[in-house]
Amino acid sequence: MLQSLPEAMGLIFTFEGMMVLTLGTMLGIILGALPGIGSTVAVAMILPFTLTMSQAPAILLLLAIYAGSVYGGSISAILINTPGTPQSAATCFDGYPMAQRGEAGKALGWATIASVIGGLTSAVVLIFAAPQLAAFALNFGPIETFTLILLGLTCIVSVSEGSLIKGLIAGFIGLFLSTVGGDPITGEARFTFGNFQLIAGFNLLAVVIGVFALSEVLTRAAASRDDAAPLVDFNGIVLPKLHEWKGRVKGLVKSVLIGNGIGILPGTGAATAAFISYAEARRSAPTRANFGKGEPDGLIASEAANNAVTGGALVPTMALGIPGDAITAVMLATLTLHGVTPGIRLMTENPVLMAAIFSGFFVINLMLLPLGMLVSRMAAPILRIKEAYMLVMITLLCTVGVYFVRGNPFDLLVMAIAGVIGFILRRQGYPMAPLVIGMVLGPTLEISLRQGLIITDGSFTAFFVGHPIAGVLAVAAVGMLLLPVFRALRPAKAA
Amino acid sequence: MSGVISERRVVSTILLVLTAGLVLSTFGLQFADLGGAFSPMFFPRIILFILLGLAVANVVIDGLAATDGQPIELLPVVIIGAAFMGYVLLLIPLGYFISSTLVGVVILVALGLRNPVQVLGVPLAASGGLVALFNHVLKMPLPTSPFFWWI
Repeated sequence: MLQSLPEAMGLIFTFEGMMVLTLGTMLGIILGALPGIGSTVAVAMILPFTLTMSQAPAILLLLAIYAGSVYGGSISAILINTPGTPQSAATCFDGYPMAQRGEAGKALGWATIASVIGGLTSAVVLIFAAPQLAAFALNFGPIETFTLILLGLTCIVSVSEGSLIKGLIAGFIGLFLSTVGGDPITGEARFTFGNFQLIAGFNLLAVVIGVFALSEVLTRAAASRDDAAPLVDFNGIVLPKLHEWKGRVKGLVKSVLIGNGIGILPGTGAATAAFISYAEARRSAPTRANFGKGEPDGLIASEAANNAVTGGALVPTMALGIPGDAITAVMLATLTLHGVTPGIRLMTENPVLMAAIFSGFFVINLMLLPLGMLVSRMAAPILRIKEAYMLVMITLLCTVGVYFVRGNPFDLLVMAIAGVIGFILRRQGYPMAPLVIGMVLGPTLEISLRQGLIITDGSFTAFFVGHPIAGVLAVAAVGMLLLPVFRALRPAKAA
Repeated sequence: MSGVISERRVVSTILLVLTAGLVLSTFGLQFADLGGAFSPMFFPRIILFILLGLAVANVVIDGLAATDGQPIELLPVVIIGAAFMGYVLLLIPLGYFISSTLVGVVILVALGLRNPVQVLGVPLAASGGLVALFNHVLKMPLPTSPFFWWI
């Protein structure tokens, strides 16, 4: 891939490439700062704008939105005590108290530097880890692929906040939805109930936008409004001076490592990384007594970790085609729309595009510093916009996105129904990320399982006897499934 | 809702009934009898049987759990939910501009806005802006309005 770097740079450092990276990062920061939109909806909303673009700029725009929105969440967390994205929830603990005592600019300065360092290291991890992982997986057959997808699916356990059983139900609903339409081997129609529109199956993006964006509109409409804290005075970012970093570098390094490590694990996500990193900093920092009262170490821990997750989460997505969370699932779906099928063969078949994506991701994270300083001043007044206006914009933009994917009005109906059902299920504690992951991984899981059984003459035990990699992956999958049980037993034992 | 019938229990029961119905439907569908992993119902049946087991466990858990969560403002949800359905059904016959403006107005009114300038101005500006952007800048035509085909 390194040999393709000069050609990849030629794609990035053009007028179009730099415009895409700059505007995408700026837009990502603004969308991330707006509470209720979040990275997943932000990527889905921008999708229609990429449909006329060529592959590399389109993918770079989506990556810029992703990285920018994760950082942007810290702006509203600090200025109005409402995280723009779930990843920035831990940033509120120390960011808002700092802002309340008149240090909003300083708080955003700490958050910006920590985010940039976290993001840059994650880009390095992506650049080096993804090709290695893809090379290892190059010789995978259907049996290994099946166990790999099975391992990927166990991330449903991790993304099931609240009730594990409800998370599993959502995941299996997603798997079932992926079976609707033509059978991948015989071509016969399944579960179409006479509706010819269903022969092609459900449009993934229509379902994703419905369950995330439209259900969010309904959730916001149902909740009591105007509960955000008032906007504090903010006159621009103030970067911390070099001597102020004394005693904080160790914590920063630890948070970056936590973020990168958790990012590569499927399903754990940036919000979990930020909370784990915050808890670790609170346990080990010499300033732990000040945590929750406006301590920069707390801000650094949260922001360095959540941005460090971004590149890590893209490693299994780009190398194996296995998304770890809802955002990477949407990214995967949008990449497929652009004719890019992330996975084992992409690295060898299109090294220039991969080099452009990886180096572009590094540049995006580098640009977070100047653009963060510039855009945060613009984003602050935007936070005063009425929530109702934002909900109208989300609805209109999401409709455009779904319409342009296939130009089929039936997809719009699917989106609206998914929005209403998503609202009902979310209200009762069913997480939506497992549903999306199930829908994305379902087709590959089915094909690899059936091909594997055809190869082994229907013997499921033969899957693991002559296939050591499959055996290891299956054990890892079982381990991931049992992890919550061990977690639940540990406090009981301690008590 | 209170007592034995709660929102949560109703949802988990509906999920169970729907899953059971889907499991039964897999036995009624006619396919070429290839058997084993070749059967189009091989994989969906595995998924649906596991889902059925989970749905049963879910009904039991929700049956034992204390009922309901936070009350919600139901009226705006019902109005906006109905507006979504109307919007997607009217999008092609009325075009993007008119249907988007209408749904925008309904959402803003449902959310409590009463200032006519805001209620009309924001949806008009938003849908008009998107039509201008996609139809004229990006050259990706949105569904055309019968009365505003020229914009």
